[in-house]
Amino acid sequence: MKLENKTAIVTGASRGIGKIIAQTLAAEGASLVCVDLNDCDQTVGEIEAAGGTAVSMSGNVTRLSEMEKIAQAVIDRFERIDILVNNAGVTRDGLILTMPEEDFRLVVETNLFGTFNCTKAVAQQMMFQKSGRIVNISSVASTRGGRGQSNYAASKAGINGFTRSAAVEMASKKVTVNAIAPGVIETEMSQEVVRRAKDTVMDMIPLKRLGKPKDIANMVLFLASDEAAYVTGQIFHVDGGFRG
Amino acid sequence: MDEKEIYEGVKAAIVEALGVEEDEVEANSSLFDDLGAESLDLLDIVFRIEKTFDIKIPRGGIQQDVLSAEGVKEEEVVVDGALTALGAEKLREKMPEADPEKLKEGFRLDDLPTLFTVQTFVNIAKMEIDKK
Repeated sequence: MKLENKTAIVTGASRGIGKIIAQTLAAEGASLVCVDLNDCDQTVGEIEAAGGTAVSMSGNVTRLSEMEKIAQAVIDRFERIDILVNNAGVTRDGLILTMPEEDFRLVVETNLFGTFNCTKAVAQQMMFQKSGRIVNISSVASTRGGRGQSNYAASKAGINGFTRSAAVEMASKKVTVNAIAPGVIETEMSQEVVRRAKDTVMDMIPLKRLGKPKDIANMVLFLASDEAAYVTGQIFHVDGGFRG
Repeated sequence: MDEKEIYEGVKAAIVEALGVEEDEVEANSSLFDDLGAESLDLLDIVFRIEKTFDIKIPRGGIQQDVLSAEGVKEEEVVVDGALTALGAEKLREKMPEADPEKLKEGFRLDDLPTLFTVQTFVNIAKMEIDKK
């Protein structure tokens, strides 16, 4: 197994891509800490039923103090933090002219500040260990933008910049930081986009299918593994060749 | 706790943080020039010292001590990020282990870590331990 004796934290693990990422890492032997605003009991139950190890911890990624408490609880229980997957994210689509300021703020605070908070919370432990893998979930919107997605695109573009800088800062401690930019993935979050414009979306995907959460989880698994030891500061597009 | 014990604790922290051999580390070794530290390593060393001695080292420590000393105004010790003659004198008093030939008027405060030696961290740790 690729992640035996490793401890991984996945944020936003109660559903969608985060849930599949957690299950994929657990299937390779990692002990999973599933973090979400509410509990991740279902994710944890499924991992345990498959013979894996997982715990659920509730917390709001927009609050650094809560993430620091979770990081400490993970260290107390597992003595290590090997992998952090910054997956928690929200959307509040709307045109700039009508978008309430709170919607812009909420999306940036959750997606971008959340990534910063969780990274900061685990950085010291990874530095002590002289090893660590941080994988940030960005988006195809980070480089292409999208109508009604100014908040989301800005937050994800911020994650790309954050990823490159964090990689440089933490490289001397053998902590790698990479991001994955998924295209249109079959999740609750993308249902509305697909419902509105499935044909248009398909025309933009040379591989002619929507992505599955497992497509993203497979890339996370690679980046979290020892095989990716020489990969850092990169943004990986997992999007079926999306041409937006 | 005597200074020898503190020195040994600091040395262990530096050896772990930088991955250097114990015999490479001496009291007057420069963290940057002799031991190859980078800026993140200084934080790593500080965190490890804090853990070893159960103390909290204020971030920006030495500079802050000098800048916020009683009766001294910031503009008297630092102008545009560089030390004044008075600022250099105060810092030399605080850091007798630092090379006095470098710690002169005009020295940029941002470059202060380049003058840190192992003894600098022993002194900082001792100061915080004594406060406990």
